[in-house]
Amino acid sequence: MTSSSSRYLPLRALGELSETRYWMYLLLLPSLVMILLVIAYPTLYGMAISFRDMRLTRPGLDGWVGFKHYAGMWSDPVFWIALKNTVVWVTAAIVLELALGLLAATALNRDLPGTKIFAVLILLPYFLPNVVAGHMWALLLDPRLGVINDLLVRVGVLETYKAWFADPNTALAATVLVEAWHGFPFFALLLLAGLKSIPEDLYRAAAVDGAGVSAQLRLITLPMLKTVIAAAVILRVIGLVNSPDLLLILTGGGPGDATQVLSLYAFQTAYKEFNFGYASALSVVMFVILMIFAAAYIRLSRITKGEGDD
Amino acid sequence: MQLNKRQFLMGSAALAMAGRVGGARAANAISYWHHFTSQSEMTSLMKIIGSFQAANAGVAVTQENIPNSEYMAKVSSAVLTGGRPDTAMVIAERFADLTAMEGLIDLTERVNGWQGKANFPENRWTGLSSNGAIYAVPAFAFVDWMYYRADYFEEAGLAGPPTKFDEFLGACRKLTDPSKGRYAFGMRAGAGGFKYVIDVMEAFGSPIVKDGQPAIDRAAAVEAITFYSDLFLKEKVVPPSAPNDSYRQIMEGFRTGQTAMVWHHTGSLNEISAAMKQGNQFSTAPMPAGPKAHVARVAYAGNGIMKEDNIEAAWQWVSFWGQTDAALTLLEGTGYFPASAAALQDQRITGNPIYNAAVETLKFGRLPNNFVGAAGWSENVVNPAFQSVLTGQSTPEQAVDRMIQGLEAALR
Amino acid sequence: MIESKRRRRTVANIATYFVLAGLSMFCIGPMIWMLLTSLKYEADIVTQTMQYIPRRVTFDNYVAIWTQSGFPRLIGNSITVTFLTVTICVATGTLAAYAFSRFAFRGRTQLMLGYLVVRMFPAVMMIIPLYVVMRGVGLVDSRFGLALAYTSFLLPLFVWMLKGFFDSAPRELESAARIDGSTRLGAMVRIVMPLARNGLVASSVFIAIAAWNEFLFALMLTTGQGSRTWPVGLQLMVGEFQLPWGVLAAGGILSILPVVVLFAIVQRTMVQGLTAGAIKG
Repeated sequence: MTSSSSRYLPLRALGELSETRYWMYLLLLPSLVMILLVIAYPTLYGMAISFRDMRLTRPGLDGWVGFKHYAGMWSDPVFWIALKNTVVWVTAAIVLELALGLLAATALNRDLPGTKIFAVLILLPYFLPNVVAGHMWALLLDPRLGVINDLLVRVGVLETYKAWFADPNTALAATVLVEAWHGFPFFALLLLAGLKSIPEDLYRAAAVDGAGVSAQLRLITLPMLKTVIAAAVILRVIGLVNSPDLLLILTGGGPGDATQVLSLYAFQTAYKEFNFGYASALSVVMFVILMIFAAAYIRLSRITKGEGDD
Repeated sequence: MQLNKRQFLMGSAALAMAGRVGGARAANAISYWHHFTSQSEMTSLMKIIGSFQAANAGVAVTQENIPNSEYMAKVSSAVLTGGRPDTAMVIAERFADLTAMEGLIDLTERVNGWQGKANFPENRWTGLSSNGAIYAVPAFAFVDWMYYRADYFEEAGLAGPPTKFDEFLGACRKLTDPSKGRYAFGMRAGAGGFKYVIDVMEAFGSPIVKDGQPAIDRAAAVEAITFYSDLFLKEKVVPPSAPNDSYRQIMEGFRTGQTAMVWHHTGSLNEISAAMKQGNQFSTAPMPAGPKAHVARVAYAGNGIMKEDNIEAAWQWVSFWGQTDAALTLLEGTGYFPASAAALQDQRITGNPIYNAAVETLKFGRLPNNFVGAAGWSENVVNPAFQSVLTGQSTPEQAVDRMIQGLEAALR
Repeated sequence: MIESKRRRRTVANIATYFVLAGLSMFCIGPMIWMLLTSLKYEADIVTQTMQYIPRRVTFDNYVAIWTQSGFPRLIGNSITVTFLTVTICVATGTLAAYAFSRFAFRGRTQLMLGYLVVRMFPAVMMIIPLYVVMRGVGLVDSRFGLALAYTSFLLPLFVWMLKGFFDSAPRELESAARIDGSTRLGAMVRIVMPLARNGLVASSVFIAIAAWNEFLFALMLTTGQGSRTWPVGLQLMVGEFQLPWGVLAAGGILSILPVVVLFAIVQRTMVQGLTAGAIKG
């Protein structure tokens, strides 16, 4: 008896604590500690490196160089190509994923009999690791063994097998296709959730007013989905800008620099040339670009406007 | 010799268990990083570990295989942060970078006191030495040569494999027939393709680096790049997929009969032999000679020690690889050539005609370029520069200029 | 009028089935091909004439991947890392998401954005310093260390998603409980948590999938068999001197299975959770 009451004592204290005005900060504490613990030092260290010379193969070279790496970027043609490719790659992938995701979510949301199974099938690509997805598509699009080439030749679209990753005009498009295949279920899932929360009455009312499918989409669906879309897009953009793994497997940035993006360029600079100073500077630039994008985007879409008021 | 999968699996399971039991008892456990991956490589490695442990009771080897493409990324972060393995495999192309980042321990004294040293001619050590100090014990060699379809050559009325670049071009024209989907030469211009771009540049008389200074002869290099890229652009004797073709793709092209010639080294012999008949269908020949030089690489790979903690056991392990039996186990399992001259005298090599071209190449072959930053420059500059010529984004002149600039930046 | 409405609905239904079937084909077509490839002999994959239906079927590729790559060990590691990541995220992230959803306080917006900013640090920049830190506390090459690293960028994602679910849980019940004398803590644990349970599951699944599939951190922060995860082990099989299409395909098929099983278990809850509104519109 006594033991149980003494066990409840701290709980009661916690309950009382929850009535104080510091309660929300206490709630935030564990996750903040967690994040700061793992992130703070690596981040500061990583940023510091970008102002130093740090080339592993030149142990003698070590010291602060100020903005040397950033100035170097200005006259580095590969940086500009990579920047342009990053923008194209991310934009194209996001647009495609959003369109496919919206299509899938709208169709699934109609809840027709037998469509549950489709939901599972459509989600499957999202379950595959990037590594697997990359190699699988490399085989599908292979210029010798690729089934897609074979099908296109049979249908008559192509005359001979095409080397998709060898032609700068198609290489980036092919990688976007792979990325879209892999990433659109994420959108489908989130958008479906968003659609479910739109009251049916709105559509019924609109239909009574004679609004067609396209008008319903424009006037109800998209505005109501705005927050979901905004959040999904921003999370996805961050993910895409930062992860080089798919391109690392599919093209390594080639042919020429046709599929070279910033994350991959930073990775190669660090781990092929061992020039960690320059690689860090590239990363910091990526980070700053993302920050600017996110700030502008959030201001435009106002997703943090919460309902938090107690 | 080909192991089938079941044999391989049983063998490696048994060895893995043996290794574990040994590990539990061993006073010394040393780690070994390498980038062997295929079944045949792993089987050979397990055999070598097994015989090493049998011969050195009390020393156990823990092997860690690391993806080849990410090998230097892992090694460099280990050096930077202190998570070094005891021993590691070092291929010639990466040697300069590894010593420059102070990743390897000086073995000169131990090597000089080692009885096995005499088995290795001087040039074996050159590629694994820096400023007169030896940092690794040679284990095996990548000897570059050419695989060609003997049956296609006969069909085209060609007497034998080309020995010079102009003969090579002539043969290429005869062997190509796009209507059959057949191309003469499986050019590698995707990952790893820089190797042959540099070879052709040197064959046209342009050095890369001399006395630590950039030494590309622009005119010769432009001529070389023009010749090599024209195979694809003008002559069209190369499959259209070449700009993204890496090892896997050129081998698949050769094995499916799309191409008649590929350049690679002895390491792929077993794989090709598994798909085609030696002699009737395919054969091997030395690389053709360029107008100014006959270039084929002989790259010695060795094993080095990365930290002092277990240095006695580590030394036993890396020197074990220099013994004839270990070298021949690897050769028979994979096709990698022994580095030791003693092993080259073995009947298993001299008695097999398919190896003639490699033995021939050993006489004139040259070591790969060995300077700090070589790997980064080759992969991050030469490869994209040459690819952009193939895809029409730049001219040979522009590509050579980019290579020169990149080289200057790398050596600065 | 009604006639045309019905006809329009029929057309829409047909179009819906058409779209769903098309998208499903797009999604699983490649995987079916992977399945077929995994059942073929090497010689039937690397061949001039495309074989759509394998003429001979073999399970060698599966046997090879099970034994050769140390598959059970790798999968075990992946499961452990994923489980740890999800546990840490749920334990700490739920509280944060609740605070963000229910309270207005100074610096709330800035803090939320701060969480998002954390996600933006490029992996390339983080890896080396993170390695140094992990080494300092002896967590390199450990599954817990890897899970901690994942937490750094998955926890913010988790908080953002879960906040949406909390937002859509009605406040009336909570207020009622408060009026009845329950503390904030009591209301949170007894009322809000159960309401948002499905959302919690859905968010956790997102985190789990991301941790399960991660490659770059896993590659750089682990070395030994003891902590190496499945995607890294799979990449390892793609050697320079072999063409392991069949084995690779078998690995791909096997790597979906655990996730599909997990999904099958939580699917019901997840769909309900999503129906409740993931991020409120």
